Amino acid sequence: MHNFEINSSEIDKIEKISEKEKNFRIKNLEFFNTNGFPSKKLEDWKFSDFRDIVYKNFDQLDTKNTLADIKKINLLKDFDHNYILLVNGNLQSSNFDYEDKSKIRINSYKKDNINYETSQNPLVCLNNALAKEGYSLEIEKNYRLKKVVIIYNFFTKDLKNKILNKKNKITIKENSEIHIIDYTVNESKFKFINNICENVILEKNSKFKHIFIQDNRSNGYFYKFSKNKLLSNSNYTSFIFSSGLKFNKLDIECDLEGKNSECNVQSALFLNTNDHQEIKTRINHLAENCKSYQKVKSVLSSDSKGVYQGKIYVKNIAQKTNAYQLSQALLLSSDSEFDSKPELEIYADNVKCSHGSTSGSLDEDSLYYLMTRGLNRKESTKLLIKGFLDDVVQIIKSASIKKFIQDKLAKQIYGH
Amino acid sequence: MLEIKNLQVSINNKSILKGLNLSIKPGELHAIMGPNGSGKSTLANVLSGKGGYKISGKLNFEGKDLKEITIEERAKKGIFLAFQYPLEIPGVNTNIFLKTSLNSIRKARGEKEMDTLSFLKLLKEKSSELGIDENFLSRQLNVGFSGGEKKKNEILQMKILDPNFSILDETDSGLDIDALKVIANGVNSSRNKKKSFLVITHYQRLLNYIKPDFVHVLSDGKIVKSGCSELAEELEKTGYKKTN
Repeated sequence: MHNFEINSSEIDKIEKISEKEKNFRIKNLEFFNTNGFPSKKLEDWKFSDFRDIVYKNFDQLDTKNTLADIKKINLLKDFDHNYILLVNGNLQSSNFDYEDKSKIRINSYKKDNINYETSQNPLVCLNNALAKEGYSLEIEKNYRLKKVVIIYNFFTKDLKNKILNKKNKITIKENSEIHIIDYTVNESKFKFINNICENVILEKNSKFKHIFIQDNRSNGYFYKFSKNKLLSNSNYTSFIFSSGLKFNKLDIECDLEGKNSECNVQSALFLNTNDHQEIKTRINHLAENCKSYQKVKSVLSSDSKGVYQGKIYVKNIAQKTNAYQLSQALLLSSDSEFDSKPELEIYADNVKCSHGSTSGSLDEDSLYYLMTRGLNRKESTKLLIKGFLDDVVQIIKSASIKKFIQDKLAKQIYGH
Repeated sequence: MLEIKNLQVSINNKSILKGLNLSIKPGELHAIMGPNGSGKSTLANVLSGKGGYKISGKLNFEGKDLKEITIEERAKKGIFLAFQYPLEIPGVNTNIFLKTSLNSIRKARGEKEMDTLSFLKLLKEKSSELGIDENFLSRQLNVGFSGGEKKKNEILQMKILDPNFSILDETDSGLDIDALKVIANGVNSSRNKKKSFLVITHYQRLLNYIKPDFVHVLSDGKIVKSGCSELAEELEKTGYKKTN
């Protein structure tokens, strides 16, 4: 029998916390201990039974922080960049030599990383109860970073049966802009769970572009809840290129609180055998004249599973909303599975909302056409897959970053 | 070069070609004409290796039984099909695709792979011959191309891959007169004593610009009449009915 109940003494070990914080943590822990890991009985987890996955893969879980001192890692040489190095989720170092450093504040986890919102999500509650590390990044007003920031998410060899709970916070003040690439370097051969809650605040006229890249085969089980608050005229863009994780669920919530704000979520996923990947979005249109655009493209190899649950909510005052959502899946094998659940909940009458979802196998006529030009079936298949995913990659403006991502995708598709 | 004897082809138990005989020698250009549904496109598909057909009879190309050979191996042996409806392939750059295709065929022929610079030179030369704008080659393969552009692109592929035996499946349909001339020139300038062609068409119009050595009339799965280029003119006047 599995018992993943967590003792409240774990909270007592957290130093220097207020009564309010302690109570919040205890309440969250109680919720987790009562409900356990989320199972398919919960609507939000109906296609990804995380409890079942945890029970199958873990006999025990260790919540202790894993400190490691990694002095140096191999930085990417493909393009100039600033960086933040996280080792097992802990802030280790950062480098903003390309920037005016007075405009950027980077700290390890601070008290205000907690937002005190109650949640019905057991993983978020677990995170609320135990998280005491992570990072906090603030960009001052009127500053556009000159170079992209890579966040190296480095996981050490000794992570085994660990569950990491981290909280990050990014604040982009008025008229500022930052581009971030979240890049995973995983040295652990063992199974571990990475449970992240991230809070992003986009103040007026700010821009945030985020690219998530994960491409190594890994025994990591990743969950990330990303809560984004968009004030007027702000712009949020998220690109997701991930592959190779045993389990990965990205849970993105965007609150379009200010007029004329805009959010984009686009992904190109290539799932290998046995990968399980879910993208879940909830876009809340809460003010007038906001735009949201979502495009999720997935290619599924044998025995892989992909899920897209996308919800668009439009509040009654959010007139002139323009919301679009599209999911396309290419199944390469009869034992791959793709589940899609688009949802619209609209309370305003002057809105433009559309959604679409398709899934199917490779087009035989297209394969035939390519093969009559001397390519074998395998080469033709790969070319079609690459083409299918490429239109998401083409949106990336920087030529060097685009090439970097194309190379990563090609490596996944061609396997070398 | 191509030897077809008593070719019988059916799909989903429906018989389409019912004992077709055809022999094409190196350097010859044959035209096949015939009404809708007579089996013209099926013949093109069977020659290029498309799956899903039940095939019997003799189907030899340069002494080898084509029935035993996969689609891409046929391409590597020098068989080329210009499609009636070229497929749109999103996300695949025309240029890069053509280079990949050419090099896989060159490799099979035992030739050295062509480097990017030489390839671009070849591409420039052949595309200007056909009046194809170079910008169009950096676009996605056939995506958003007009009907005429797609057909020109097929002929460009033929010129680049330089096959011994080309099948043109209704390449003339949907073309204006200027595009028709460009395509005819493209074919004519490739003709020599080693290369053979099978031109499938509904109308005699194309044959005003490409002079065939032989014309065959296909009807209900069989060649019912063969002759020289005058036969096409005759058909234009009288229609297909009389040949039955």
